[in-house]
Amino acid sequence: MQQCAVSRRYTVARLLITALIAVAVHAPAWAVPSFARQTGMACAACHTVIPELTPFGREFKLNGYVIDNLKQIKGETMERRETLSLNQIPPLSVMLQVSYTHTAQAVPDSDATGAVAKDGEVLFPQQASFFYAGKIANNLGAFIQLTYDGAEDHFALDNTDVRYARYLSEAEPTGEAGQKPSGLFAGHDVLFGLTLNNNPTVQDPWNTTPAWGFPYAASSVAPGPNAATQVDGTLGGSVAGVGLYFWIDHAIYAEISAYTEAIVGGAHPVDSTQAAVVRGLAPYWRLGYEHRWGQSSLFVGTYGLQASVLPGSGHPLSGPSDHYTDVAFDTQYQYIGDDHLFTVLATYIHEDQHLDASVAYGNAANSSSHVETAKATFEYSYRRMIGGSAGVFSTGGSKDPLLYANDGSIGGSVNGSPESTGYILEINYLPFLNTKLQLQYVGYTKFNGSSSNYAGTGRNASDNNTLYLLCWLNF
Amino acid sequence: MKILGSVAVILGLMAADATLAQEIRPEVAQAAASLAATTCSTCHGTAGRSTSPNFPNLAAQTAPYLEAQLKAFRDQTRADPDAQAYMWGMASQLSDETIAAIAAHYAAQTGAPGHGGDAGLTSRGKVIFQQGVPDRAIVACATCHGDHAQGNGPIPRLAGQHAPYLLKQMLVIQSVLRLAPVMHGVIKDLSREQMQAVAAYLEGLGP
Repeated sequence: MQQCAVSRRYTVARLLITALIAVAVHAPAWAVPSFARQTGMACAACHTVIPELTPFGREFKLNGYVIDNLKQIKGETMERRETLSLNQIPPLSVMLQVSYTHTAQAVPDSDATGAVAKDGEVLFPQQASFFYAGKIANNLGAFIQLTYDGAEDHFALDNTDVRYARYLSEAEPTGEAGQKPSGLFAGHDVLFGLTLNNNPTVQDPWNTTPAWGFPYAASSVAPGPNAATQVDGTLGGSVAGVGLYFWIDHAIYAEISAYTEAIVGGAHPVDSTQAAVVRGLAPYWRLGYEHRWGQSSLFVGTYGLQASVLPGSGHPLSGPSDHYTDVAFDTQYQYIGDDHLFTVLATYIHEDQHLDASVAYGNAANSSSHVETAKATFEYSYRRMIGGSAGVFSTGGSKDPLLYANDGSIGGSVNGSPESTGYILEINYLPFLNTKLQLQYVGYTKFNGSSSNYAGTGRNASDNNTLYLLCWLNF
Repeated sequence: MKILGSVAVILGLMAADATLAQEIRPEVAQAAASLAATTCSTCHGTAGRSTSPNFPNLAAQTAPYLEAQLKAFRDQTRADPDAQAYMWGMASQLSDETIAAIAAHYAAQTGAPGHGGDAGLTSRGKVIFQQGVPDRAIVACATCHGDHAQGNGPIPRLAGQHAPYLLKQMLVIQSVLRLAPVMHGVIKDLSREQMQAVAAYLEGLGP
């Protein structure tokens, strides 16, 4: 009986996690006017169409969000060492997101058996966020997002990235023309940085990684697939990590980070009532190369992480754990013309799973399995005003009747499969650079393993197709 | 006559250049070097040699030209779209002395090495640069920018500059998005292909 109760609790927890994953995977990525306030630059300097970054936007981020043109409050020692350099006007901004969601078939009522929930959900707001995004001190800056979630009705710390960055290579000293730079990094631009953040890939400047990847905004209430890799948003908000990165000659990027458990809310010190607790340190790595020419840039890269996760949810935070190894490859091509802008984004993530703990607790049937996700997107914009995107996505992997259980809900899988495939079509209109109106359609060709009756409830994958309207204001 | 008039204006600017020199205190020069290393370098490279062709190389650029441009950004009198998007903000807090120090800092750097491009395009560009286009009464670029495109006072150095940047500047000057009346008068009848050729030739010139 106790095992059943624990199992039920675990199932509920897993469903909640799955729902959170769906939200996290679709967690929107924001461009913030506080950067524009701080730098005096228009949004177009850093973004093609918000929130996708231009090469300069990537430079701004990698340099620690510190470029500024505001008057500073200064402090100096007698030796003229600078002890303070603070913006007189804090780099604050607000984001408001209002949305409408309609699914092809209404989802079941959460309480009344046989009834369905209202189909046609307005969220005002879907999210409202407050940002401190900009310089803290010389070489030190932050992107801190505090978000009110309309569906959850609560405030929480959202994507946060605090970073320190400076060049190791010194500029050629002023003086005699023709004088050659000297030293280890002579002739090279070598930037190094440190990042402290709460979501693997939130520190990444390319829009191919999960935290800032397409779709940049999506419904927070529509049903989402049951499987995602750890690096694909699963750990976001429940870990804290520090990383060291190098950006060499504006072309080569290398980073090594380590994350550890930092769950917000619930029991503290963290105990068995928490779910999915990262054990020890989870290393994260990133390597990439960007080539820029004319109005184009091409990036190819790889990233990944290793994490040991204790299931918790009624099980002690000791003993066996689940081990995940994620390896991903990504590429991005960007063309930024005066009239026409387009971007191609692609990511492939493969995750090996060794689910010793889940098998021991009866939550998974296979100790060794895998999940893989592929996404590809084409984006176009005319004069940063009107444009659209078309993307395809696919998640698949090993079947497991316990891990992807048929629990009678619309989040279940009748054949124990993590497979979901589909497409996303989007039209955007930006009357102003900081205002985006978005019409999005998400279509599923498979959902949790099947195209029809995927959960044994008579619901088809296409019944989860979602029409989503968004009004997104940044000011 | 028009050509002679344009050249006369340019020569006048060059003469006026002598009056632009400003005394720069050592601490301001140091602050300017720091600013160049921490802020300007993001786009223009740590030694004033940018890796992105969207942003100009500043190394070895003439100080009076840099000074005039930074003041034009700060005063918002240079108003092409990129100037507005990037440089209006960047230059808004700069004093005249800091501007002079930044200009001197970059003028003292070693110019960017040349990158050879398409041979045919480059050779056509060389002819235009050195001889102009007499049929269209377009004066040789070298008349003002120097035989080696090294610049002269307020006339910018063009040697080794990124071709896409040069092309874009010619286009915004031709379309009057960037106000440069003398230069506009010289290139207003230049075709896009001719601009591309000149830009390709200039990009290939070394320091």
